Amino acid sequence: MKKRTGVFVCHCGINIAGTVDVKNVAEELMKHSDVTHSEDYVYMCSDPGQKLIENSIKEHNLDSVVVACCSPNLHETTFRNCAKAGGINEFQCEIANIREQCSWVHKDKLKATEKAIKITRSTVEHVVKNKSLEPISIPVTRRGLVIGGGIAGIQAALDMANSGYEVILVEKSPSIGGHMIQLSETFPTLDCSQCILTPKMVDVSKHPKIKLLTYSEVQEITGYVGNFKAKILKKPTYVDPDKCTLCDKCVDVCPIVVPNEFDIGLTGRKAIYIPFPQAIPATYTLDIVNCPGLLPIACGKCIDVCEPGAIDYDMKPEIIEEEIGSIVLATGYDLYDKENMKEYGYGKYADVLDGLQFERLLSASGPTMGEVLRPSDHKVPKEVVFIQCVGSRDPELHCAYCSKICCMYTAKHAMLYKHHVPDGQAYIFYIDIRSGGKDYEEFVQRAKEEDGVVYLRGKVSKIFEENGKITVWGADTLAGKDIEINADMVVLATAMRPTKGAEEFAKKLKVSLDKDGFLSEAHPKLRPVESVTSGLFFAGAAQAPKDIPEAVAQASGAAAKAIIILSQDHLFHSPIVAEVSLNLCTGCGMCVDVCPYDALSLKDNKAEVNEVLCEGCGTCSATCLRAAIEVKNITPGQIYEMIDASVGG
Amino acid sequence: MVNLEEIKKEAKNILEEGKVKYIIGYAKSSNALMAAPTFVKKPEDIDKLIWDPTCFQNLVKFLLDEKRKKAREKEPDIRPVGIFVKGCDSRAINVLLQEKFITREDVYIIGLSCEDLGVLDEKKIFKKLKGEEPEKIEFDQRKNIVISTKEKTIKIPLKEILAERCLECTSSFPVISDVFWGDRNNRSPKEPFKSLEQIESLSQEKKWDFWQQQLSKCIRCYACRSVCPMCYCDECVVDSINLAITADTTAEEKSQKIKWIEKSPESSENFGYHLVRAMHLAGRCIDCSECERVCPVDIPLRLLNKKLEKVAKELFDYKAGLDPEQPSLVSSFKDEDPEDFIR
Repeated sequence: MKKRTGVFVCHCGINIAGTVDVKNVAEELMKHSDVTHSEDYVYMCSDPGQKLIENSIKEHNLDSVVVACCSPNLHETTFRNCAKAGGINEFQCEIANIREQCSWVHKDKLKATEKAIKITRSTVEHVVKNKSLEPISIPVTRRGLVIGGGIAGIQAALDMANSGYEVILVEKSPSIGGHMIQLSETFPTLDCSQCILTPKMVDVSKHPKIKLLTYSEVQEITGYVGNFKAKILKKPTYVDPDKCTLCDKCVDVCPIVVPNEFDIGLTGRKAIYIPFPQAIPATYTLDIVNCPGLLPIACGKCIDVCEPGAIDYDMKPEIIEEEIGSIVLATGYDLYDKENMKEYGYGKYADVLDGLQFERLLSASGPTMGEVLRPSDHKVPKEVVFIQCVGSRDPELHCAYCSKICCMYTAKHAMLYKHHVPDGQAYIFYIDIRSGGKDYEEFVQRAKEEDGVVYLRGKVSKIFEENGKITVWGADTLAGKDIEINADMVVLATAMRPTKGAEEFAKKLKVSLDKDGFLSEAHPKLRPVESVTSGLFFAGAAQAPKDIPEAVAQASGAAAKAIIILSQDHLFHSPIVAEVSLNLCTGCGMCVDVCPYDALSLKDNKAEVNEVLCEGCGTCSATCLRAAIEVKNITPGQIYEMIDASVGG
Repeated sequence: MVNLEEIKKEAKNILEEGKVKYIIGYAKSSNALMAAPTFVKKPEDIDKLIWDPTCFQNLVKFLLDEKRKKAREKEPDIRPVGIFVKGCDSRAINVLLQEKFITREDVYIIGLSCEDLGVLDEKKIFKKLKGEEPEKIEFDQRKNIVISTKEKTIKIPLKEILAERCLECTSSFPVISDVFWGDRNNRSPKEPFKSLEQIESLSQEKKWDFWQQQLSKCIRCYACRSVCPMCYCDECVVDSINLAITADTTAEEKSQKIKWIEKSPESSENFGYHLVRAMHLAGRCIDCSECERVCPVDIPLRLLNKKLEKVAKELFDYKAGLDPEQPSLVSSFKDEDPEDFIR
């Protein structure tokens, strides 16, 4: 049966019409036996353009539509809705991309026109074999999951909970707070990091809609948008927070001292410890890796001294299963490993610190109670060298990208150092200063002008210890000379890396990572907080290096996206999904192995499609040796006809 | 050493006990150089069975027919079929198991090791005989073959007339079996892909010319497909002739069948057929070389499959049929895979 297809060719101003003779395209397509009507218009996506399509469908009694315009990524939905408004099934509308794939990449008008005709003709061949389909409806579990309890995760959880949805917040360490709680003061306003973060942490702990799972790790996510299932491992802390009175006696008696993660090894902590005074939840954690053993015979000092009997050596790991509708990933960052920065003596010389360690030195709650002292001899450093881009912007040896926050925090470090040690001298080695952001440039200028920080444009070649000083060899490329500074302390602005284990975790969740290991967003501009897997959103430095305001903004964005899902009774899934020809399927299971969405399984020796999980990618169809599985409305038969139309005459 | 008398004894036992429906093995044929496939159903017929280097056919193909036959029967005999397999043949069984085309219960595998030998290459012998018809052959000490023709008797060292695949074989014993004869020594040929050397040394243009010339000979008799144990699809995607029509094939489905390749044996269509076949055998071909052996126009088909075998080995450390549980080559990926885009 012949179809009655309408072809609508868009000029897109001169975007298309400048290179393609759109009138000619419309005329040529009219010759196709399935085409009943064909016309061109200056902006098909404009309101009158859409009206034109709608009216033509009714007027010419069309049963299918081809719009020759920009990429279907942009206006497919627009024109499918338009087809629907015209009274035909929305899946009887297909887009011929004659802009990105034709006019934008060609110059010769004759040849470009010829190609546009072929593209459009092949799309007509596509649409004439389209079937009318209905979207698949799926119910929604109206509960969210946030993974990562740093500032981004905290913000996302609060926003979702404040919108009235239940949220589960999972954090792998014993307390929420992330790296922000380690910072001293924050640029460019120099407000105390803990002071602005702890109220939010308290909000989380008190919020009736938030279920907080600390010392827990998400082990597995199955299911699909609106209907995920999470398996969360809650590790035992061996302390019952309800009974614990925070008397600190257990810490006093514990004989084991290990480096304190919160102070990045600048201080020690016991095997039973509270990460920091404002920790949420406020309780102790017994670190089983370092504890001599959970047997009274091995040590048992803490259990003896605990009056309320809060310590329970028999606590077991717990697997918690939760059903959720949408997920925000906020797994954060770590600093570039010191093993990688041996040339700067990091990890070798006690007075070579990374940025986070220096934050702890500056912090009022830090190991020196806010005094800047050298870790080696506890003397006040009089000359401090700050080095930017340590590991960043170094494609040959380290990370190719810019870690973005270091210019600002280094300026802050130098400024705060000068506030603590007014007679000291701060030097900053930099490649260039990136201070885009509200009040950021002014902040850097203030460091230079008001606080007398010396900025040296150049790289540091070598750092070594000599006579109790740290000698820094570098170059000042503006003055064109070599520089040697005998410093008391060196602070490295090391690169930001995705948090350790992010790669494994991404694999479990089947989210893709970019070349540097950060979470890869669905579209760098238009879908910056979404993953390609629907229902999964990103917040914070797990996606790319960001400062606090950006992380918070993105977290609210991700929360809003997650809420879009939670706020609906039903979600609709595209019906462009795989379909099995049972009589051809031999049940070899290759499609099952190859499906990136776990949408296929074997049932009674035949492949079966879970239509909700299927994204219609067609990998199964390409893999099947027997052509027994195909994607609806983009079948091998259609592709064959499209190729024929593209390469023929 | 493989002892034929012991094999016969086992064959007799399993037939008498009713453990198997029948046994697919080898028997003498009218062609002195080639054993014929034989189906032994009664214990008294077991003396037909032979085992020597003339047993070069891959009998696994018959399991496909058995499966189809069983599917047609109302009350099928579900007992397994006994089958003689060599090392290469056993890997074909593994691929069929891996692809769930048969189940382990369908077969009773009588594994026979080729040990340090292998099977004959008829074509190599014909070359040596220079057109004379062999009437009788004998094997001398597993070292030589003694061939008698009307005119003369010649003695040829076995190594000279073994099949190419046997010279490149790395595991000459069955990797899966229910009963087993012979040794299980892995071989490590110096050049497991020696047969590819010459073609690989050619320039791209020369390679094209070579295949153009070879594939233009193809008469599309489909003998290669018919003999291949991996070609078990009811309908071959590249050949619209044998459209599988079942009770539930709709008229629309019939009309929408795509003719990816025309029936005519023109070289462009022949390229399409053979290259698609080769791709469909990537990671599945176990190098039994039956396709090349049966080709009536002597197209060196083994080279195509061997090349893909080499690529799979070098890039993905993959060898077909080693284990029925291993993932298939084309539907699996490892993080160590060399192409970053796969992730």
